[in-house]
Order: sequence, then structure tokens, then C-alpha cells
Amino acid sequence: MDKILLKKAFPQWVKKLQAYRLIAPTKDGNIWIYEAVTTPEDIDLEFLTTALSPKKIIFPQREVYFEFEKGDNDNPEIKETLPEDDPTIVFGVRPCDAKAVTLTDMVFGGDFEDVYYWKRRNQTYLVGLACNTPPNPNCFCLSVDGSPHSKDGLDILLTDLGDKYYVKSFTKNGDKLLNLAKNLFKQPSAANKKELQKIQTESEKKIIRQINNLKKVPPKLKDMWDSPFWDEEAMSCLRCGICTYMCPTCHCFDINDEVHSSAPLKGQRIRTWDTCQFPDFTMHSSGHNPRPDKASRLRQRIMHKFKYFVEKHKNYQCTGCGRCVTKCPVSIDIIEVLEKVRDYGS
Amino acid sequence: MDHNSNSYIPKLAKIIEIKEEVGGARAVKTFRTQFIEDNGFIHKPGQCAMLSVLGKGEAMISISSSPLEKDYLQFSILKMGRVTSALHETQEGDVIGIRGPYGNSFPMEKWKGKNLIFIGGGIGLAPLWSVLSTALGKKQEFGNLALFYGARTSQDVVFKQELEELKNKMTVHLSIDVEEPDWKEYVGFVPLNILDKKPSPKNVITITCGPPIMIKFVIQNLQALGFKDEQIYTTVENKMKCGIGKCGRCNIGLHYVCKDGPVYSWAELKNLPQEY
Repeated sequence: MDKILLKKAFPQWVKKLQAYRLIAPTKDGNIWIYEAVTTPEDIDLEFLTTALSPKKIIFPQREVYFEFEKGDNDNPEIKETLPEDDPTIVFGVRPCDAKAVTLTDMVFGGDFEDVYYWKRRNQTYLVGLACNTPPNPNCFCLSVDGSPHSKDGLDILLTDLGDKYYVKSFTKNGDKLLNLAKNLFKQPSAANKKELQKIQTESEKKIIRQINNLKKVPPKLKDMWDSPFWDEEAMSCLRCGICTYMCPTCHCFDINDEVHSSAPLKGQRIRTWDTCQFPDFTMHSSGHNPRPDKASRLRQRIMHKFKYFVEKHKNYQCTGCGRCVTKCPVSIDIIEVLEKVRDYGS
Repeated sequence: MDHNSNSYIPKLAKIIEIKEEVGGARAVKTFRTQFIEDNGFIHKPGQCAMLSVLGKGEAMISISSSPLEKDYLQFSILKMGRVTSALHETQEGDVIGIRGPYGNSFPMEKWKGKNLIFIGGGIGLAPLWSVLSTALGKKQEFGNLALFYGARTSQDVVFKQELEELKNKMTVHLSIDVEEPDWKEYVGFVPLNILDKKPSPKNVITITCGPPIMIKFVIQNLQALGFKDEQIYTTVENKMKCGIGKCGRCNIGLHYVCKDGPVYSWAELKNLPQEY
């Protein structure tokens, strides 16, 4: 469904959307974050890349699996703590971050469905905003089968046409959100469609960072297991893990029990984000560690995203958001690493 | 298994029996457990289960009882980390959590009519015990059965009584690493005991579990005796948290050991990166 929404009518639509929990980019000091908003004015659609992607709404950094309690004589009690019913609209999702959700869907789906993930996912609507100009100088979505106006994972995509938005709905859920304020939306004219096309073409040209021939990387990685390349590239790594914590596609997690020292038999089992970049991530209780150094951990990160995931799920596990490039404190640049892999030995 | 259910919630099980196998610094105890409520838990030899001590966490442990044993699930556990230490402190009657079973299993269907040689070291006898006792329970389906088992010292031998009884049912070659006054059997590492006894590779499947270094030399020595890669099976272990291929830490290349392993033939494993 294609529609036009005048910007001056935008607040009225937002008011209707507030029938749901509404999460949108808001400015917090120098950064933008996705947060629950209460008025249309809270929403800042001129936002640059948000600190974290909306992944955190579906796969929060901390998830309680269950609560447990054990009396002195009774059997322990386990109380499942599934996410509550709370239909949520995430508004202003960048196409790369929406595509990332389709990738975490692959991980948390499959033969063992993760009920916590899907409880949140199935009640989350994603309303996107196309990137007319790259929100991050390190954006490289075009190189990883994405685009600044891709619809993957989105229910609705908005494109800024100056005084109006071009609104495309791709799903029944998207149509439902438009129908909340039917009278605000007009039919697009031929001129609107032409303008959309023009903006989309221009937006692609504005993306500076590209990796040509990324498809050469997965087969190349096959023969690079024992290469000294990984030592060289990982030399400056601080093992901080920010590349993975900021990543919209990374899904590794830890599971632990939390108890208070005064009541060791009462507590919660929780899932928290974890990262393959931490030394103890793979360490056995014996002390043996299959990935004992920075080189083997960088190799894991690159192999997972550009080889294993490709072989298993037919997609790169990267959507080109550029966060890891921008945020790495020692300037490890995944684009450069991938270019070096592509050209390795030739 | 009902895949729509919540995989992360453990089922409560009572510890009905605890047996101390080995004391001291490398303590091993064997636990027999019964679910408090029947939940249709059915495992295959080689599969693992995630054991919970609430408040301490979870650890993935191989199931050492045979699926033919319907009355209990058995786990033999080396005291090593936080959760296994907590398990060692439990008493009979205590309740723990169990979820699973996880992973693939030994392809015993494919082994019908073959002779089976089990090769274990240390606590590696625990995962072997499930497949070994299943083979014993269906003896008519297989040819000759034999076991090589070694431990560092006679004190470290697990399943001492069971091994004595086993000698009446199959060939058992025991070994310890260094000489002791009363030890009448082989002295030396398990791989050397294999070279010493020279089993024929004809119509044989070997299954080996133990420390990685032992497995490495067992495989080398089996190959020297003419065993093909397809005749050698082993198990791999890695650090695990979820057990269902999502938390991202137990992978060897694109294999998640919790889901795609732990059982591999050497023909499969030799092509995977050495990341275990």
C-alpha cells in the first residue's frame, strides 16, 4: 500500500499510534537512543545512527527466564517469566537495523524456538525511515545486499520528501497502523512516485564506503584458518567487545543465576548479552580455551558473519550499519578487514 | 520433543542415589536422578543434559545411563567448576533441574552386526557407559564387544565395581599411567595399551572418549593398526550455555557442538577446524 502523509499531519498519526507502546529515536545529549515516547515532539526523525539498534527491544540485554525459590523442605519452585503482552511499535527504524531483525529471527527460530524472543517479536511492529543521506559516515549497507531504502523486516517504510512522507506498507500489520488514521493518508501522485525514485537513487550514491566483490570473501575464508593474517589484524584489539555489543545482528548470550547473598535459595535465572570477543567466552572449566587469543576471536567474529552464517542462512550476518567501525576504540575497521581478506594472497 | 515449549525451563528431578567414584582432588561422583513429574524425557546414547543447581547455574553433562534403563538417569561428574562443585555438595533426596536431552547420538543403528571396541580415559568412561550398556543390552545385534579403559592411577578408576562385573560379559583391558605395587594389568597410557593388544580393524567400530590428548593419540594408533576414519567415533566437548544452538559459544566452525555434536566420526571431525 502506497500513501502520502503530510508532515503537518504527522503528530496526529503519532497520537493514534500511541494506542501501542511507542518507541522511537530520541536525542539524549550527543547520541540518539530508542526510547518510549509520550508525545510526537519526543521523536527526532533527523537522527543519525542510534547508539544501539532496536534489537534491544526484541532481544533485551537482560532477560529473566524464570524465578526460583526453595524452602528448607519443599521442592524448589520455578516460575516462568515470559515477556508481558505489550504490543509495541518501533518507529523510525533504519533499513539496516530492520534487516538485522530478520537475521536474529533466523537464529532464534529454527528447530528450537526461543519463546522469549518470539513473544516480543510477534508483538513488535517495525516502522522504518529510509536514509536519504547516510546516518553514519561508515554506512556500507549496499555492500552486504542491503540498501538505504530496503524493506526487509519492515511493516512500513517512510521516505522523507521534504514537506511530506512517502509511506509504503508491506504487511497486514503495516496496513493496520495506517488504517488507525485513514483520513490522514492521501494517494500518491505520479510526481510523488517520481520524486521517491529520484531520492532513492540519490541516496544510494551518497554512500561512500563500499566493499566491492564481497562475495569473494566467504570462499576465501575457507583457506585462511591458520593464516598469520588474524594475528596482524587483531594486534590492537582491546577485547572490549563494543563491536559486538553495538552490532544489530550479534546474538551471543550468557545464562546465569542471580541470587542475593542473604537469600541464596531465591533468585532469578537470567540471560544477558555476551560476546565472542571476551577471553572467557569459550573457556572450559578446566582452564582449556579453544579460542585463547585475540587472533582466534577476531577470526571467529569474521568467520561467523561472513562464512558460517552465509553457509547456514544464505545471508551475511552483517547489515552494514557501520556501528562497529565508528565505535571501535582502536579503529579496527571491518570494511578494511574484509577487503584484505578478499585480496589475501593475490 | 515439543519444540514450542520453553527450552530454558528445567524439569525438577530428585537425586535418588549418590556414589563416590573417586575422592581427593579429582573427585568423581555418580548421581542417579528421577524426574518428580513424568515429562517424556527420552535420550539416545551419547546425548547430554543440562543440569541445574538453582542459584549456582547450569552445566552440560553427558548421560551415562542407557536409554534401556527406565528407572533413572545417571550422570558421573568430575568436580571441576562452580556447578559441578555444587552438585558434589548435594545429598540424596535433593532436587536439581534437568533439561534436554541435547545433541546427536551414536549412530548405533548403522553398527548392527559389527564388533565394537570402546576406548575410554578418566571421566571419559561416563559418556561411553551409555552406549556400552546399550550395546550390552542388545548384545545379539552386535558382534564382539571390548573395552579399553585407563586412568591416571588406580584411585582414579571410575565404575570400579561395574568394571569387575563387566569382565564376565566382554573383554576388558584396564590400564593406569604409572606403576603401582598391586596393579596386575597394563601400565602405560591408553593409546599404548591399544598398540600392545593390537585389535584387528576387521568389521570393527571404535568409540573413544577421554581427554583430548588421549583421543589424539588413540586415533593415531588406531590408524597405524589399519582402522579407517569412518571406523573411529569420538565425542567433543566445549563450553555451553543454551544447549540449543543459539548462545554462540560451543561452535567448531559452523557446527554447534550442543546441537550438531557431541558425537563425530573421525571422518567428519578431521575436516573441522581444531577449535575444541
